[in-house]
Amino acid sequence: MINAVLVFNNNGQPRLTKFYTQLDTQTQQSLIAQIYHLVAQRPASACNFLPLPPLLSQGAASSSAGPSDAPTQITYRTYATLSFIMISTSTESPLALIDLIQVFVESLDRMFENVCELDLIFGYETMHAVLSEMIVGGVVVETNTEKIIAGVRSQEGTMGKRKAVQAASTSLGRGALPGLGAWR
Amino acid sequence: MRFEKSLYDLIKGLRNNKGAEDEYIQNCLRECKVEVKSQDMDKKATALLKLIYLEMFGYDMSWAAFNVLEVMSSAKYLQKRVGYLGAVQSFRPDTEVLMLATNMLKKDIVSPNIPALSLPLATLPHIITPSLSMSLLPDILSRLSHSNPVVRKKTIVCLYRISLVYPEALKLAWPRIKDHLMDDQEDSSVTTAAINVVCELGWRRPHDFLPLAPRLFELLVDSGNNWMAIKIIKLFATLTPLEPRLTRKLLRPLTTIIQTTTAMSLLYECINGIIQGGILDGEDNLQERDEVASLCVGKLRGMIVIDSDPNLKYVALLALNRIVTTHPMLVSVQQDVIMECLDDPDISIRLQALELAAGMVTSDTLQEVVNRLVQQLRFAPIPSQVDASGENPEEPVEVETMNTLPNDYRAEVVHRILDICSQNNYSEIEDFEWYVNVLVQLVGLLPLSEADDYLLQSYSGQDSPTSQKTTVAYRIGTEIRNIAVRVKGVRMEACRAAESLLLLDNRPLLFPVGSSVGDDVLGPVAWVVGEYAEEIRSPSRSLQSLIDPGNLSLPSNTLQLFLQAIPKVFIQANKDCETRDSWKSEISLLLARVVEFLESLAAHPDLDVQERAIEFLEVLRLGADALRSETQEVPFLITSVIPSLFMGLELKPVALNAQKKVVLSSSLRLDEPFNDDLPSLFNRVNGSLSDDLHDHGGLQDFYYIQESSPPINKPVHEITAASYLDNSYQNSVGGTLSQSAMDKHRAERRERYRDDPFYIASAGLSSGRSTPSRDVLGASHDDSFDIDNIPIIDLKLDDGPKGHGRHGTSESRRQPRRMEVAGDETIGIDDHSSPALSAGITGGSGSGRRGLLQVDSSSLGQPSISGNESQFNPVDDGDLEMRQAMQNVEQVRLRMQRASERIELEGTPDEGELVKKKKKSKKKTGVSSTGDGDQTQEKKKRKKKKVSEI
Repeated sequence: MINAVLVFNNNGQPRLTKFYTQLDTQTQQSLIAQIYHLVAQRPASACNFLPLPPLLSQGAASSSAGPSDAPTQITYRTYATLSFIMISTSTESPLALIDLIQVFVESLDRMFENVCELDLIFGYETMHAVLSEMIVGGVVVETNTEKIIAGVRSQEGTMGKRKAVQAASTSLGRGALPGLGAWR
Repeated sequence: MRFEKSLYDLIKGLRNNKGAEDEYIQNCLRECKVEVKSQDMDKKATALLKLIYLEMFGYDMSWAAFNVLEVMSSAKYLQKRVGYLGAVQSFRPDTEVLMLATNMLKKDIVSPNIPALSLPLATLPHIITPSLSMSLLPDILSRLSHSNPVVRKKTIVCLYRISLVYPEALKLAWPRIKDHLMDDQEDSSVTTAAINVVCELGWRRPHDFLPLAPRLFELLVDSGNNWMAIKIIKLFATLTPLEPRLTRKLLRPLTTIIQTTTAMSLLYECINGIIQGGILDGEDNLQERDEVASLCVGKLRGMIVIDSDPNLKYVALLALNRIVTTHPMLVSVQQDVIMECLDDPDISIRLQALELAAGMVTSDTLQEVVNRLVQQLRFAPIPSQVDASGENPEEPVEVETMNTLPNDYRAEVVHRILDICSQNNYSEIEDFEWYVNVLVQLVGLLPLSEADDYLLQSYSGQDSPTSQKTTVAYRIGTEIRNIAVRVKGVRMEACRAAESLLLLDNRPLLFPVGSSVGDDVLGPVAWVVGEYAEEIRSPSRSLQSLIDPGNLSLPSNTLQLFLQAIPKVFIQANKDCETRDSWKSEISLLLARVVEFLESLAAHPDLDVQERAIEFLEVLRLGADALRSETQEVPFLITSVIPSLFMGLELKPVALNAQKKVVLSSSLRLDEPFNDDLPSLFNRVNGSLSDDLHDHGGLQDFYYIQESSPPINKPVHEITAASYLDNSYQNSVGGTLSQSAMDKHRAERRERYRDDPFYIASAGLSSGRSTPSRDVLGASHDDSFDIDNIPIIDLKLDDGPKGHGRHGTSESRRQPRRMEVAGDETIGIDDHSSPALSAGITGGSGSGRRGLLQVDSSSLGQPSISGNESQFNPVDDGDLEMRQAMQNVEQVRLRMQRASERIELEGTPDEGELVKKKKKSKKKTGVSSTGDGDQTQEKKKRKKKKVSEI
């Protein structure tokens, strides 16, 4: 199963954290920091698999010992300024996880039309909605982009992107987004 | 007009307050705390959304749990969604308000609105508890027959997660999930979700899913859905070992997929499934099987060689690593490409190749592989400390240039080299001189610190596992010691190597500059130099290096070994100058310097160091006295007495469990006093000696006894070589001693030493006249207990099979000599009951405690899901109750902890907590399913106590 899905930018600032097991906030933060540290070291040409960070390798047995509940694989993929990370047990296929990240990003792209980091910051809720159409409780429930989009639209109406922005700002009666430079 | 910030304003404000974010966030948190209590649901939901957003950055929002519930119960869907998101992101096992949510969840689960109905289904897996499962199960089960496939697929997954905390649920849910799986007309998304769930369950209880095989097979062949096919193949890999007929059936379709598919992920999983399912290693020799094997390995080779995709390279190596354990021959054919990967720019790929290389080395390839790795370390500069620090997260860490290797990788390579070389008690090594040379080289290539500073930093909050872990430097030192002890043929070379590492002049050259990693190597190395002092090149120089004042700052465990070596090397240095005319001044000088060094350690804070320093100091001062009084020849004390302290038996490696197996001699009576009137005996001795001579009293006896003893006239080790030969386990038949043989040995030994004043006679034969001081002295030579009392050398190897050594000539210098490697000495067949040791070596991975992020599915192992109600197992119920009780106790404990953390701030704190900055050690106490009653009771007691305090 998938144990966690993380998204952070090139500076290690989290953009999405989803842990499929309950974990206290400080451990979450140090895990994100450790994984960011690993990702930041890797050149673009490197493969999409990370070694286990110290927090995870402590309890884990060797990866070749067959299936177990312990997370053994970390798959990541970097798009422009964002890195998408999936932590999973050995019951997931490593190459399929890379594809799954691709599906996630494609779906976000469809939702936001040419997605960029800023869209995801402001469309925070929509991003969570997309993910929960794909993965429930750590198990993949949908890999078809059409169905994922349909699921999210049924929640937010057909206005995808606009609605997402509105969800953040309508209640205050603000219209467009002025001065949207790169935040931070 | 409203004045509250929306999430958008919050984000924008963060941007405008660059540099003072923390202050801004604290302000926002304060506002949110007010807003979230507002009666206006809009305001409440917006505040909650902001809190959820800040939680992502590590700002605790557990105090808002009740407000989360309020928003969850909102009638508006988008507000409800915020509430459910808050529950997912912030509820922890200790969140208690969940009890209040049961009715609301029940209502939402049966909602006619599909998005609203999906919310609890997606949220429950994060927050589910056994009691919640019990009350919600009927409603969730009813959703399995919902008309919308989206609901059905989410329900299936939700039921899986519920079964993990409440195993009874699986009994009820499984027959219905199975129906959906079997149904041809079912929506493909639902089938895939069901397959995914079965795949998670499969490895826990493969027997239950064997009946599904025909349907799975059908789906694999006909569905055309690669995502599902991958999962089915993964599932089959756990089923085939149970059902050999499946192997035959699967072989053809899998081969077809391998040959035809264009999806690399599917191809890879097919190969992986064939390997893991054990399809390659069946007994009957199908021709197809060989074909498949070569097809797989060929495809994997292709993935490494042809495609430039690093991901394929990585997974191919991953697969080869699985094959290598069962089919080393198949893999070693691919050695050329694997060796290429050892130099791959990608560290992940290198680590995989490294593991593979370690798995497939033979005596022919070992030197090549190790040399290659050493070269790799040699030509990659050690990264400087500054680069490794991740202090400034605002700036992206520079991508390190390709040829600098991270420290933990360097340490891993050295560990692997040592693993490769020392496996099976050095059976793969042909040239030990080469190995000694490699070890010396490795010392210079050690990383400055084991892990990057950054990681060490994050460790420090935990219980610092690095301190318990054997450092790689220490391992190198022990390897040199091991070789010196075990391989007599290269003992001289090993000692010379140790000497070269020890010499003060060489240290700056051989050890990495500006670090203290060498300290760990020096200890074992000093031991070797001391123990085999007769082999070293220049005892006096070694001695100088040992007693250099600079050594005083070494860590105490290194100093202990230094102290042990000093007198031994001193003796050897004396032997060298005895023949010269100027011996007296030379020895006096040496002695004076040694005494000076020991004096400076006599007040060392470490007790072990202090004790050893004082012991040797006293002995050597006596030597100095003797040197002053006698004039013509070297004092007897220095030539014979002190050496005899150290030259007893030759030290041999002893297996870890050997000591336990020593049978207690029937004549050994530990409970009987030596002398019934011991106090008066002591009084007599004390009375006869004046106070200031008291220390020396024993030593005067010491003189007397030594002179009368027979071994003193010959070099002691000669005697041991001759007379102890028959006691060596190495030479005894079959390496084992039966009880009767041991008794015989013991009897012989007793006989031999009966009149020897050095040995305590068996109780029956005791003369009863031994003085206390004689007892003390006798102990150093005492052999009457058993030969197995010889000191145990620290061995990191598991007891390998004995007799790996091959006899050969040691004449030819050119050809690598075949060395005899001494195995561990043990009695009888070793039962490998040394888990503690091996765990200690590998860094003591706490196997008992649950890993992070781990979902505990172990509860699924027990109950049957065959749907047979009569199989209801009361034990499970008890188990469940116990677990619930444990959970409750745990909750209370966590709450107490939390309460003690914020002492004044009752309820909602004014300041938000940035948890990120606090590196508190937090012990995770896993809720064990078989918790023992004592513990629970104790915790309950504590709980009561706390409650009364409050």
